[in-house]
Amino acid sequence: MKRIGYILTVIGAVFLFFAGCKKEDKPEPYQSTPYVIDIPFGFPTELNIPDDNPMTVEGVALGRYLFYDGRLSGRTDPDSLMSCSTCHRQERSFEAGVDHPDFPGGFPYGITGKPTHHVMLPMINLVWNQNGYGWNGFLYPENPNPNLRNIEDFVRLAVVAEDEISGDTARVVTLFQSLQGYPELFYKAFGSDKVTFKNIERAIAQFVRTLISANSRFDRYMRGEVQLSPSELHGYVLFTTEEGADCFHCHGGYGNPLFTTHLFYNNGKDTVFTDPSDRFAITGDQMDKGAYKATTLRNIEVQGPYMHDGRFATLEEVIEFYSHGLKQSPYVNPLMHHINDGGVQLTPQEKEDLLNFIRTLRDDEFMTNPEFSRPDKLPDEP
Amino acid sequence: MRIKLLVILSLIIIPVFFISSCEKTDGPEELQAGKLLFYFDHVMNDEVIRLDTMMYSNAAGNPYLVNEIQYFISDVTLYKNDGSHVTIDDWKAIWYVDTDLPDTQYWQMKDPIPVGTYDSITFRFGISEEKNKSLMFVNPPESNMFWPEYLGGGYHYMKLNGKWKDTADEIRPFNFHMGIGQIYDANDSITGFVHNDFVVHLENSGCTIQKDKTAAFVLTMEVNEWFENPHVFDFNYWGGDIMQNQDAMGTAKENGHNVFSIHRMLEE
Repeated sequence: MKRIGYILTVIGAVFLFFAGCKKEDKPEPYQSTPYVIDIPFGFPTELNIPDDNPMTVEGVALGRYLFYDGRLSGRTDPDSLMSCSTCHRQERSFEAGVDHPDFPGGFPYGITGKPTHHVMLPMINLVWNQNGYGWNGFLYPENPNPNLRNIEDFVRLAVVAEDEISGDTARVVTLFQSLQGYPELFYKAFGSDKVTFKNIERAIAQFVRTLISANSRFDRYMRGEVQLSPSELHGYVLFTTEEGADCFHCHGGYGNPLFTTHLFYNNGKDTVFTDPSDRFAITGDQMDKGAYKATTLRNIEVQGPYMHDGRFATLEEVIEFYSHGLKQSPYVNPLMHHINDGGVQLTPQEKEDLLNFIRTLRDDEFMTNPEFSRPDKLPDEP
Repeated sequence: MRIKLLVILSLIIIPVFFISSCEKTDGPEELQAGKLLFYFDHVMNDEVIRLDTMMYSNAAGNPYLVNEIQYFISDVTLYKNDGSHVTIDDWKAIWYVDTDLPDTQYWQMKDPIPVGTYDSITFRFGISEEKNKSLMFVNPPESNMFWPEYLGGGYHYMKLNGKWKDTADEIRPFNFHMGIGQIYDANDSITGFVHNDFVVHLENSGCTIQKDKTAAFVLTMEVNEWFENPHVFDFNYWGGDIMQNQDAMGTAKENGHNVFSIHRMLEE
């Protein structure tokens, strides 16, 4: 009887021990830290962040590594490395720039050597874009195709596109799962150390949404911190008046400090329209033939080449085009109301003043911000 | 003993009175109210407008097409025959209408309207001087309506964009944009501003607001009226842009009083 009591006691103790262990062994889910975007003065309060990809500090940190990791193709051969940052250079406001060391004139091509269909769009302040991504806005939240809706989808498209990274998503997942340090970062960002391509998309998109440029001289002028020169101020007047250069209707200003409406316009570049990737390709509306997104003019000084096809290498050429080079067609947007005169007819002094104002939109702090630059070392680097 | 009893009774009775009086003042009288709903319609000669089609002619004989219409209305007010009135005066009650955005063509006003019979409805075309402040709207699409600081700030009241055929049969764009006008001196410097917003009195807009019901109306813009009554607006004379031309905007403002009409829909 005494023996039975002893056995029962042991069984009970073992049960309690395991029960206790079970409780303690259950891993606590990692609590990632919400990433809060500070809204700069005058900027929109509504952000384009999908419900299924809330921003976290850990997600952004992972996205930054991935953005700069050349193995995003799924390959490790030194000759076939390509990352987002290969084309999107911080010092060029995350565009290629006309002085790109590998892409002469700022015309990128993919690992296969195939050139991209259009040149690059600025990759800044995209968290405020509510009107579609890409020159023709083919990625938009209401797209019936759930795989073509937001920056996350852009990541996947860039990885697999022949004219970009030309990778294989399965190989990318396998590779990054095997790279020391990455699984832990995925765990911290998404609660699982299992690498998925969906989470790669999410992390890079989170990082891209942090690329906020809002501290140019014009921003400081808006906040009353600095004064602009007489030439810059005159350029600002030209920028925001119909009888001046009338840039503001499409490119914003004080009341729209994004310096773009993110809408699509035929701005009078051509008379014949054969590009299968213009806005018309998305909407089917005849009036959208030859229409493309109005780009933000923030940091535009360093973001050449200009227009969807990169036909202009310098801002001087762009201003000359709007001043004297417009071409009439049935599809020109009515906002181009100087079209019958061939442009806004600026004098040389006015062109200079307008250019000086546009240069006030350059944000050097953004282009040197260490939070956006390549990490000192990748997770698996010693 | 008697004093003790009185104290005890007081302790019981006073809180009862206190609580019952609280209940009385805390319970607001139920507001007998209904709601107001506007649908927005844009017509040309009583027919729904066809955008981007060169098929219309204004009073000046200009053949023209309309590409898009974007505008604000505000200060919707209902008047009773005794002179009293109710204004939808929430600051957010400045409504943006855009022919490209269906969601903007339907405005369910949030303010409760006291039940009763109202003789007429008015609204303000654009935004009053008091409310028309820069950066009031920071989100698109409203923020895309900003009016440059140099020209007076705030927001466009309206952008009506299109194209017309001039006397030489050339097609030209027009931006019939209304907002704060400027007064220029001989040196072309701005010396003052003119607020071109105006109140529209809608004929046949009497209505009865019933408890917990929504009075729905269709507010119709007859686009041709901008160019017709009382002034004939000739694109060949005024040109394609008017933001810096107060005479043109003043003409548009006077024509604007006849642009809108309203009719009641079935109650919801």
